[in-house]
Amino acid sequence: MELINNSQFNIGYICSKLQCLSGRADKTAFKFITNKFAEFEFSFNDLEINTNKFANLLKKIGIVKGDIIFTLLTKSPEQFFSFIGSLKLQAIIGTLFSNFGEDALYDRLSDSRAKVLITKKSLLKKILKIHHNLPELKFIIVTDIEEDISENILSYGKLMSQVSEKFEVEVTHPDTPSVIHYTSGSTGKPKGVLHAHRSILTQQMTSREILKLNQDEKYWCTADQGWVTGTSYGIIGPWSLGVTQIHFEGAFNAASYLKLLEKEKVTIWYTAPTLLRMLMLSDEDFYARYDLSSLKHIFSVGEPLNPKVIDWSRSVLNKEIYDTWFQTETGAIMIANRPEMPVKPGSMGKAALPEIKPAILSKGNNCLEPPNNVGNLCIEKGWSSMFLTYLNNAGTYDGKFINGYYYTGDEAKMDADGYFWFIGRSDDVINTAGHLISPFEIESAMLEVPEVLEAAAVAVPDEILFEAIVVFAKVKEDVGDVEELKLKIRLFLSNRLSTVATPKDVVIIESIPKNKSGKIMRRVLKAGYLGTTAGDTSTIEDF
Amino acid sequence: MSVSDELNKIFREVFDDVSITVNDSTTADGIEGWDSLSHINLIVVIEKRFGIKFSAKELLTFKNVGDLKVAIEQKIMR
Repeated sequence: MELINNSQFNIGYICSKLQCLSGRADKTAFKFITNKFAEFEFSFNDLEINTNKFANLLKKIGIVKGDIIFTLLTKSPEQFFSFIGSLKLQAIIGTLFSNFGEDALYDRLSDSRAKVLITKKSLLKKILKIHHNLPELKFIIVTDIEEDISENILSYGKLMSQVSEKFEVEVTHPDTPSVIHYTSGSTGKPKGVLHAHRSILTQQMTSREILKLNQDEKYWCTADQGWVTGTSYGIIGPWSLGVTQIHFEGAFNAASYLKLLEKEKVTIWYTAPTLLRMLMLSDEDFYARYDLSSLKHIFSVGEPLNPKVIDWSRSVLNKEIYDTWFQTETGAIMIANRPEMPVKPGSMGKAALPEIKPAILSKGNNCLEPPNNVGNLCIEKGWSSMFLTYLNNAGTYDGKFINGYYYTGDEAKMDADGYFWFIGRSDDVINTAGHLISPFEIESAMLEVPEVLEAAAVAVPDEILFEAIVVFAKVKEDVGDVEELKLKIRLFLSNRLSTVATPKDVVIIESIPKNKSGKIMRRVLKAGYLGTTAGDTSTIEDF
Repeated sequence: MSVSDELNKIFREVFDDVSITVNDSTTADGIEGWDSLSHINLIVVIEKRFGIKFSAKELLTFKNVGDLKVAIEQKIMR
């Protein structure tokens, strides 16, 4: 790898110090645009200084290599300084989606035994509700308070003003743990996917070879830093190449987004199919108001990009959209469309790099030869951004690898030209707007609603979100206004788990169908809801 | 209870935050966590509590809480 010298694999070092040493100290690392469109520019030298200070801040409060730090922030400069600064110290950094509710936050902070949380005042109240149950959480650092609130709740600004701008990053071994993201599986609580500093190899190469990032580009990745795309391609990949990014604090709004693409002369845009489908809702003459001539390429990630969006972009924006595929566990793009090869609308594309070897395997772990045999989408073990483990869950990690292949949980096929095509999930995990969520998590939360006796959650197709959540509840008798109860369940899920877990519909039913071993038969519920056939129902115990 | 008071109560319930106080000029940028999904929650609760329905086109015209309040008042007066 061209940017790693003296075997220094430290992501923080490569994204800041090395960029300064390579003559980019004065170059803009990122322009931060607030939701009111105020602009703040930070050079790579600013990034270097602020991340050095953050590493020193952590050191000052007793944090050492291997300790786990989390951020709970909306897009802000402090998010980036905390992330890179923690990595410089070789602490492990995780990012939490700012709309997580207290149950989701508790699950992640308690499982990881996080020692420090960086947050802002308006999000602090969610943490204070659970703080008493998090004995390992030693410090909460708040980015927008002037003075410390207590001996454990400290002012970011005050701490940063007390530490040195210089920090010597120790030579970091490629297998040193770096970033943690929690992800949903089909069973149990979310699992902490732990990555290593070596992930930067794949993140940098895919940024260059797939996203076509080079130092002349102006790049905008719309993903929130709470998710893997936001860290792998909103921080690490582009900055490892010295690329200028824009980061926008505001929520999605078609006019704001188009205005930013035009005004900032963004050349490479990495976004999500859900967002593109929301853009499609505007009339065609709306787009004619914006000059997108600077925009060279649009890439998407999160959930399958339907051909309709590609056709729309070709005719309305006069741009091609290149869909990419990866997972939290893979750390970087594994399969992708790209400018130098024809796009087959609806396809995932081809293997992203020579080191990445996807395959379609049968249930018996045999390779299914193309074309068009449907099976498990697997990746041959050994790519650089492969996750290290599931934190505290080595057994589950081991179970993901069979005969040297990582099983992704997706079903796919490969055509005669080597293009992969997504078919569906091989488990019940729901992909809503690019976010994976386990039915188990939703059902567990629903059972906390006092009126709910039994619960089930399924995915149904959705034109905007790809999949939407529909929940079913068996409730106590005499619950009063059923419509009010449905609202209560909806808001409970949204506030306790995340807005991502908000159901499209809440259905009250007599009983939840289960098989003889007590497993919820979600396909039966889904078929009933969609008015399709449920297939074999002979094993239903109670319906 | 006035429309403004009821709306304020709904915002507190939807965003699970008793400290929220909205006024006519409040926008999504002024409420932590007001994203496209919580916006749907907000509309669903408003429709239920006021016994009204919004069309998809109407939803696109609301720029702030004041717009929302005017639309509610017009519907409940009909």
